[in-house]
Amino acid sequence: MIWLKTLPIVHAQRLNAQYTVLTVEDKDLAAASHPGMFCELRAPNQEGRQFKPISIYGVEGTRLSFFIKSVGFGTDALCALQDGDTLEMMGPLGNKFPVFAGKKALLVSGGVGYPPLAWLKANLPDGTTVIHLHGGASSEDIFDCDISCTMDGSEGHQGLVTDLVLPLIQEHGINLIYSCGPVGMLKKLTELSGDIPHFVSMEAYMACGVGVCHGCVIPVGDGFQRVCKEGAVFDAKLIDWRQL
Amino acid sequence: MMKTKLGRLALDSPITVASGTFGMEYFEIMDVFDAPILPQDKLGAYICKTITPLPKAGNPPPRIYETECGMLNSIGLPNPGLQCFLDEELPILLEKLSIPLIVSFSGGSVDEFCMMLETLEKAEGIAGYEINVSCPNVENEGIAFGADSDVLYQLVSRLAPLTNKELIVKLSPNVTDIGRMAKAAEAGGASSISLINTLWGMAIDWQTGKARIPRKVCGYSGKGVKPVALALTYQAAQAVSLPILAMGGISCWQDALEFIYAGASAVAVGTSNFTDPGAPARIYDGLLEHLKAKGSGIKDLIGTVS
Ligand SMILES: Cc1cc2nc3c(=O)[nH]c(=O)nc-3n(C[C@H](O)[C@H](O)[C@H](O)COP(=O)(O)OP(=O)(O)OC[C@H]3O[C@@H](n4cnc5c(N)ncnc54)[C@H](O)[C@@H]3O)c2cc1C
Ligand SMILES: Cc1cc2nc3c(=O)[nH]c(=O)nc-3n(C[C@H](O)[C@H](O)[C@H](O)COP(=O)(O)O)c2cc1C
Ligand code: FES
Repeated sequence: MIWLKTLPIVHAQRLNAQYTVLTVEDKDLAAASHPGMFCELRAPNQEGRQFKPISIYGVEGTRLSFFIKSVGFGTDALCALQDGDTLEMMGPLGNKFPVFAGKKALLVSGGVGYPPLAWLKANLPDGTTVIHLHGGASSEDIFDCDISCTMDGSEGHQGLVTDLVLPLIQEHGINLIYSCGPVGMLKKLTELSGDIPHFVSMEAYMACGVGVCHGCVIPVGDGFQRVCKEGAVFDAKLIDWRQL
Repeated sequence: MMKTKLGRLALDSPITVASGTFGMEYFEIMDVFDAPILPQDKLGAYICKTITPLPKAGNPPPRIYETECGMLNSIGLPNPGLQCFLDEELPILLEKLSIPLIVSFSGGSVDEFCMMLETLEKAEGIAGYEINVSCPNVENEGIAFGADSDVLYQLVSRLAPLTNKELIVKLSPNVTDIGRMAKAAEAGGASSISLINTLWGMAIDWQTGKARIPRKVCGYSGKGVKPVALALTYQAAQAVSLPILAMGGISCWQDALEFIYAGASAVAVGTSNFTDPGAPARIYDGLLEHLKAKGSGIKDLIGTVS
């Protein structure tokens, strides 16, 4: 089912000047959501504007949360919402991260790629060894993870997450990679991952969010696939990164 | 009250959906979507995504960008091609639709357009055609025929004798004189015209100086184009006696009514489907209520702007 709902915000938590976590309550949506899926969200004062795709950050019981970075008019309006305000939403949309038993998994996120991987981490099968490597511009972009990197060195390792990937793969015998973040990071990570299975959650501008407009495609194989429908999670090796 | 006529077609409702904004993919999710998608009791006709003779993959991404007041698109007519449309999509459309099906198509030459029409004519169940000569996002199809009135006349006059069904010519707003284009379609034998396809549009990331869409210039639609679309509808209605299927930024019933006053016999909802999947039904309901209160039918109001 894809629901179109207007729900009250049960909690709007401002993490810092850029990031906000919005929580709503809905048993249908909560039950149908899985790591990797997203919802299309819109603040009530944005009527006539497009919905914005936002990953599901977590489900606890019947509560569903979204972790949003304010980067433009759509996300600014979402981040300004307060407890009790309403949120228009359509979802859950897209596919889910495939999971496998008994793996040594490396999760790599950059910036706003954090939320889908944070939720995935909490949902990997028992017995999975997992390392979550997360990077951002500065300490403001860093949240709970195992290893962090910042460009300005204000927290964790100074530099790019991809600087740390090869040593981590070797040291921990990594045999599965999940990622989400800026295209440059994902491209580099795909090069570094070699033969290791690698699943990536992609971003694209979206209009309809449900596979109708063909606006959100990325180059996959010798054609295009829709991030909202065939994705947002793709096998990184099938994406034609040269075109991105 | 809501009944109207588009050339040879009698429509139960003046509301339709604009080609390419309401693809068949909605049919796949209709049963799992918790909103009235494709309310056939409220739509006059269904217009499919433009099809071309051969399959097209569409343009490289990014293909869309939301602007201050509307959206840019450079989708590039991805479609499975004529044969696959006939074999796979048409049967589904005919099974699901109880309202007239209008097939939008385009081609790269007059012969290709004629071949498409001749082939489609052999299929059962199609009520009419929308000839897309106005897509700004492809090199060869469409716009090459929609920018020059003589070329348009040549094309339409070859197509018109091939069918007795509704033949709508979809015009581009990117011309100096819309009246001239409408007259060319009329002289060629079209039974109605539709307008507008998307306007030329562009967006640039001021931080990097990069165009937001790789083809740089693309198609602009949605709320922001409404005044332009309204003016062109009015000008076209002044120039010809053909019925007009109007579109461009319609998001509420009041918008639809304005187009009817300007000269439209029917209207199509496009980009608004993306911001509100229930928009066509909402527009129908609002318009019906208004007409009831006013005590007039659509037909009394068409082109009566004062
Ligand atoms: C499947 C998916 C899941 C996502 N999950 C999250 C999430 O959990 N949390 C979150 O904060 N964001 C997420 N995003 C990104 C979010 O959708 C965009 O930040 C948002 O659409 C921006 O809209 P805006 O109106 O605020 O900004 P705009 O004014 O549209 O843009 C502001 C700036 O952001 C850039 N930008 C905007 N949208 C995109 C995009 N889709 N891809 C790349 N660059 C873009 C533009 O280049 C521009 O410079 C996700 C995107 C997708 C496709
Ligand atoms: C994503 C998108 C895809 C479109 N695809 C087509 C198409 O395949 N054929 C066509 O004739 N017009 C196409 N159009 C144009 C619309 O049918 C319509 O003419 C235009 O968008 C103006 O109406 P609107 O402002 O209500 O969207 C497309 C528009 C959009 C936004
Ligand atoms: S956003 Fe329309 S197809 Fe993905």
